[in-house]
Amino acid sequence: MRLTSVLSVPFAMVGRRTLDIATEMGGMTLMAGAILRRLFPPRVDGAELMRNLYNVGVKSFPIILVTGVFVGAIMVIQAGLYVEKYEATGFIGWGAGFATLREVSPIMIALMFNGRVGAKNTAEIGTMKVTEQVDALRTLAIDPVSYLIMPRFIAMVVMMTLLVVVGDATALIGGAFTSQFLLGVDVQLFFRSFVDLIHLEDFLLGVYKAITFGIAVGVVSCHFGITVTGGAVGVGRAVNDSVVASAIWIFVLNYVVTTLII
Amino acid sequence: MSAASKQVTHVEVPRDGVRIRCQGVSKYYRRTAVLDAVDLEVRDGTMLGLIGPGAAGKSLLVKIICGLVAPDEGHVFIDDIDVTRLRERELQALRMRLGMVFQNYALFDFMNVGENIALPLRMEGRSSETSIRNRVAEVLEQVALPGIQDKMPRELSGGMKKRVSFVRAVVRRPPIVIYDDPTGGLDPVTSAKIFRLLSDMKAQGTTSITISHDLDGIRPLCDQWLLIEHGKTLFSGDTSAIDQCETPYVRQFWRGEPA
Amino acid sequence: MSAHPPHKPNVLELFLAALGSPFVIVGEQFREIFKVFGLTVQYALHGRRRWKEVWLQAYRIGNESLVFIVCVAGSLGVTLVYQAGLQAERIIGDLTPLGGLYLQILLREFGPTITALMISTRVGTGIAAEIGSMVVTEQVDALQMSGAHPVEYLVVPRFWASVVMVFCLTCVSVLVSWLAGLLTALLAFGVSPYTFATLSFVIPGDVILLLMKTTAYGIAIPIVAGASGLSAHGGSEGVGWATTQSVVNCSLAVLFLDVLLSGFGYLVLLR
Ligand SMILES: Nc1ncnc2c1ncn2[C@@H]1O[C@H](COP(=O)(O)OP(=O)(O)O)[C@@H](O)[C@H]1O
Ligand SMILES: [Mg+2]
Repeated sequence: MRLTSVLSVPFAMVGRRTLDIATEMGGMTLMAGAILRRLFPPRVDGAELMRNLYNVGVKSFPIILVTGVFVGAIMVIQAGLYVEKYEATGFIGWGAGFATLREVSPIMIALMFNGRVGAKNTAEIGTMKVTEQVDALRTLAIDPVSYLIMPRFIAMVVMMTLLVVVGDATALIGGAFTSQFLLGVDVQLFFRSFVDLIHLEDFLLGVYKAITFGIAVGVVSCHFGITVTGGAVGVGRAVNDSVVASAIWIFVLNYVVTTLII
Repeated sequence: MSAASKQVTHVEVPRDGVRIRCQGVSKYYRRTAVLDAVDLEVRDGTMLGLIGPGAAGKSLLVKIICGLVAPDEGHVFIDDIDVTRLRERELQALRMRLGMVFQNYALFDFMNVGENIALPLRMEGRSSETSIRNRVAEVLEQVALPGIQDKMPRELSGGMKKRVSFVRAVVRRPPIVIYDDPTGGLDPVTSAKIFRLLSDMKAQGTTSITISHDLDGIRPLCDQWLLIEHGKTLFSGDTSAIDQCETPYVRQFWRGEPA
Repeated sequence: MSAHPPHKPNVLELFLAALGSPFVIVGEQFREIFKVFGLTVQYALHGRRRWKEVWLQAYRIGNESLVFIVCVAGSLGVTLVYQAGLQAERIIGDLTPLGGLYLQILLREFGPTITALMISTRVGTGIAAEIGSMVVTEQVDALQMSGAHPVEYLVVPRFWASVVMVFCLTCVSVLVSWLAGLLTALLAFGVSPYTFATLSFVIPGDVILLLMKTTAYGIAIPIVAGASGLSAHGGSEGVGWATTQSVVNCSLAVLFLDVLLSGFGYLVLLR
């Protein structure tokens, strides 16, 4: 009797996890559907959209700049080790730039964006939910999805795309400086190999990725925000779940977009 | 060990009998004073009633007294030791003689009831596990909640949570106890039970501060009164003085008359 | 007695305030983080040892993030090897060094850093949410009244657990990424798995750097997250603020330490 109950524990755990994941997937699908329905024709509060564009874009700017510089520096250091080994200093701009534009910069910027914007979004919507502000909107006959979620979603997609472009640029600048001061590779040499060997499609791949990441973070963070229950503790838990789910989506979509586009 | 830390572990009632004293305590948030030069004195074995409307700064004041929040100006003395000058270690030692019942229970939600109550004893580090277990059972019995050690806080009703919070505050038998709204949100029957516990504690000689909106409940218990609003002292004195106070707002508040 | 008379700021003052406030906020957060860091070190060395609690926290960290990290490491491994393979095929035409180099870059960079970023997301947020909820529900005050120090009681066990678990999870993540890369190379380019099972490129410096990075991240994450949680105030907004702050600050701390340690590795270890 005892043994069977112990043996069933892992199965129960797997089962519960699966059910949880299925529930959240369903919720995210519903959220995506609700957003899609209000996109054609667009039903968005204009003032609310401007406010969110500002909150999402301008306020994340400093963090994205810092992240970009760090990413550039790391990639140049890593590439530098190989470039020196094979005495191919001329390729440093290509080696660091290729990986940065296609992979590392979109992922890192998206992860920071997820933390800065996605988490905040879940926390804000979640707080409105637990303090019954969302119900108050409903009783005033205001559609919470059009009023609360649409502007945030659009702002997130637009700003994620733009911020990845900004991140790419700062990563290159950070990388160029690192290669000048740490590796002693001239900035001109760095950019020459970059310009010669990097194609527009490398940059565009990052941008496409950014658009899908923006959609994912938008849908996921709104879904977890609007389904919060259980006061302050519930808000904390929802933010945690939201950033984790978004991070998984970011990596999965990264894989999907890479294989689809190449 | 400095002179101060030796002092905090050695309980001695001051010669003038004042166990809690605040002198000109002020606190500012964003340039507005939420406590404005508050003075108070609580003598050994007496109870101070701290009353006032919501957001007056009552909870904040008692947190400053316990050293949980540092005041921007003024001093707090517990048994003539200046709380505002103590370091964290010394504060920890001083808090061994303080108990506090929080307004919103503040039960540890990751521990069951038994562990909640045992924590102050464990931190004191003087008793064995068996004697801790016995003491927890004993105090739960005293508040008519026997055998609920294994329940989690979320399974309890509001009145039960208040009583568990009360028990956790007094389990170390501290000489000074602070009750922040011990009957808030409770029905009259449960409130009466709690006031009974407060009066028992007072009969055993504890010094206390009680925050409450239930004036009828605490009127017979308190010896001194402090009425604050927006952080400013509106009245300070004993029961006969507040009975005779002519200030219109104090009269309204004390008698519960409409404006 | 009004010590702070109301004062209407003029345009210049507003401008200076807007310019200075980010620095003030960043400075405050730095101070808070270093305060918690100092206290954690102090209590970790001299405080009560609660190994049972450390074990519990380690179990929670592993249990919460294992599946997550396997998913991320797997998809990252596939993507990286696929891109690198295409590029190598086009430019060099020889895919034999792919496996060895891939393992090396995993150990040096992507294994520890991506794992730490994922742990920041999963565990760092969890710590901040938990401690933040305890702050706003006055449980931290109650803890102090019981005679426990919040850093000693809440942060130190998570600190030990995280130091150990970041290393363990990094090993898992490297292994999963490596296997995923191996399978991708085999299926997409027909590269022999034997070329992957080589340590010929890995030098002792790589392993030392990996250990340094995982230790640094393991120390930084619980401290930064704990500092965010402890500086929460207000209701559910406060908890939301603390969790958001925690993801951002933990991730930035990881990236910053990565730059620092990679630079150190470049200059000292990996020559
Ligand atoms: N950490 C804090 N940050 C900002 N304001 C605070 C903080 N703590 C308390 N206050 C303010 O102090 C005032 C007094 O609060 P409180 O002591 O809880 O009132 P009471 O217990 O009398 O109802 C309130 O206006 C509250 O907004
Ligand atoms: Mg209060």
